[in-house]
Amino acid sequence: MSEQMIGRRETLKYLGMLAGTASGRDFLAAWLPSAAGSRVQAASEAPHTPYSPQFFKPEEFRTVEILTELIIPSDTTPGAKEAQVARFVDFIVFSAAEFRPEMQREWIDGLQQLDRLSRDKYARPFAEASPQDQEALLMEISLPERNPDAEHPAFAFYGLVKDMTVDGFYSSRVGLIDALGYKGLAVLSEFAGCTHPEHQV
Amino acid sequence: MASEPLYDVIVVGSGAAGGIAGYVLATQGLKVLCLEAGRMIDPAKDFYTHKFPYEWPYRGGGKPGQYGHLPQGMEWKIKEWTDHLYTIPDQDPYALAPGAKFTWTRLRAVGGRTNVWGRGSDRFGPLDFQPKTLQDGWGDDWPIRYEDVAPYYERVEQLIGVSGSHDAAVYNTPSGEHLLPPFNARCGEMLIKKGAAKLGIKVAPKPLAVLSQPYGGRPPCHFCGACNWGCDVSARFSSLDVLVPKLQHLSNFELRTNSPVHTILRDPGTGKARGVTYIDAATKLEYEAYGKTVVLAASMVESIRILLNSRDREYPSGLGNSSGTLGHYLMEHVAFNSLEGFFPQLAGRPVTNDDGPGESCLYIPRYNYGAKNKKYLRGWRFDFYTGCGMGPGPGAAFPGFGSSYKQKIKELYPAAVSMSGYGEGLPFYSNYVEIDPDGLRDRYGIPQVRFHTDAEYPEALAILDDMYGGIEEILKASGAEIFPYKKVAPYPLGSVTHEAGGCRMGSDPRTSVLDEWNRCHDMKNVLVTDASCFVTHPEKQTTLTIMALSYRAADHLAEEFRRGNV
Repeated sequence: MSEQMIGRRETLKYLGMLAGTASGRDFLAAWLPSAAGSRVQAASEAPHTPYSPQFFKPEEFRTVEILTELIIPSDTTPGAKEAQVARFVDFIVFSAAEFRPEMQREWIDGLQQLDRLSRDKYARPFAEASPQDQEALLMEISLPERNPDAEHPAFAFYGLVKDMTVDGFYSSRVGLIDALGYKGLAVLSEFAGCTHPEHQV
Repeated sequence: MASEPLYDVIVVGSGAAGGIAGYVLATQGLKVLCLEAGRMIDPAKDFYTHKFPYEWPYRGGGKPGQYGHLPQGMEWKIKEWTDHLYTIPDQDPYALAPGAKFTWTRLRAVGGRTNVWGRGSDRFGPLDFQPKTLQDGWGDDWPIRYEDVAPYYERVEQLIGVSGSHDAAVYNTPSGEHLLPPFNARCGEMLIKKGAAKLGIKVAPKPLAVLSQPYGGRPPCHFCGACNWGCDVSARFSSLDVLVPKLQHLSNFELRTNSPVHTILRDPGTGKARGVTYIDAATKLEYEAYGKTVVLAASMVESIRILLNSRDREYPSGLGNSSGTLGHYLMEHVAFNSLEGFFPQLAGRPVTNDDGPGESCLYIPRYNYGAKNKKYLRGWRFDFYTGCGMGPGPGAAFPGFGSSYKQKIKELYPAAVSMSGYGEGLPFYSNYVEIDPDGLRDRYGIPQVRFHTDAEYPEALAILDDMYGGIEEILKASGAEIFPYKKVAPYPLGSVTHEAGGCRMGSDPRTSVLDEWNRCHDMKNVLVTDASCFVTHPEKQTTLTIMALSYRAADHLAEEFRRGNV
């Protein structure tokens, strides 16, 4: 109860909460007037530090990098690239072999599905599509998130990618401290609480 | 073991109930053996209080699926910070009858679950001990009244150190007169206090067993907020950190770890208990220990299991079970999903360190007294959590991706709010636990339990509906935006880790297991002092009451020894 913790698992708690319900759509209409994702920076030309993926094939890993950097881009604050979220995903999916092997299958199938969609649309695999086309395809796949009446066969994979990207980014030092600004888990001599006059009763 | 000595008292368990019983009995000179099923804990090695998620191999969550299926209410407990402390259900399973659900949180170690407990420490009120007489005529009253327990609440509060406020006393929610100062509240908590005030609902400082100033040789809280993973400086109460050190130097107190108790030994001549059998966890060999009295304080399920496993020719359905109620009338709070959202007026504010004393500093005590035409019985409390946490917060719920999504997360991060409700759980004979008839045994070979528990009884469904409405009303009055949510069925018994009942107290031996001094009606030298003795389960938290009742029962037992009645 009170043992309920505001912790990093709120990532999972919140994800998907607003997707797929009529009330969620109404809520978003009030709180999200403009489309998200319009200012995404392409990450495909970014420098690439050496890393040998443990689970993904090199071309798959490249796609994972692009996806995670599309979801949490580097802008005024560091993003998935600096936090090396793709490596986190690779490590977690690799580690799933023991107790949750189906997670590996979901990633393999999802990446193949993404490439098929990209080939149908742009005549090349996702990683080789232009940054604009990559973003457009991700927008298309994620449509059910903002429109409960919409469907897309790759939406489940989008959810998996977004979930693990947000989880990986905001549990990293770069995401939690540098981007978000979490100041806790510190040793303080006093806790002032709220000192704003306007909040006092 | 012919050389095994005769103890005055064998205390089974070293958590909230066992720690207090051992303390009260040993400090009054009685020769006490405390048998603890688990190991000794070293806070310096076992508590990872200052570790960030990125300091763990799997960011704190373990390998995917590593902890198996965790029942409702246990998902957040077992992490890389704590997975060496808790019993993982899949590795030491218990049985469920078809359709039954039960969340059984086990932490087998010295101090038990007080090592990682929630620390909320409110007293039960007068109406909670006599709900039948003073509230609505339903169910049963306790054989004792608030006035009987109040002095022991006071002693426990003094012993463990509770921060709170006596000024905030509210109806039927008594508070101690000598508490340490309360903690300062966060911005969001103040907004809820303002909002609730518009509705005439009182928001009070939450009594917490966390030190707001140095006390009893222990340092105050340093506000790292990681209490759920243990405390490295003993600023919060645990039996391990606060009680065991007071006892270990006593020659009349012995703590024996890795010694899960199997049965109670009975003398066929006198009919009384003469000790216990226990397993040495390392060798799995069974030993006996002898005592003039036995105090069961092993946690609700474990104490019931020991009594059920102690069946013999005179008590074929379990020792102390001549009433047939042993294991029955199990209770838990009516609990459900919290409502989530954010305060628009706090969006985009500078990030602050909102960890504070780990827990909320304020809460909403029960306020719904005397409501006419209500469809449910009794009442509820609300708890709420606000501000910057160790995760992305409410913005992550929004659709989309890219810079605008990231910006939304950043903007709403300091504005987070969630509120949850806990309703009074009602006792039903049909909610019970038994020894598994299919022969399941635990890792030591001791017969394991099977639960027959259903949280979805009509009164729970009714109170749940009104609690959702109450939370919405208060959050809206506070200016919060609430995410759309789905109403769920009440969470399983045990999901709040506030399971209680099964050995209930009563003045009638035909309908209860224990008398007003926590002694078995059938066998006065066997006491049960954990939450299994509860007759009712009000909306308040359970641990302080467990400790007060254990203190009271042990104090009376010591007096009986002095009078030569044992």
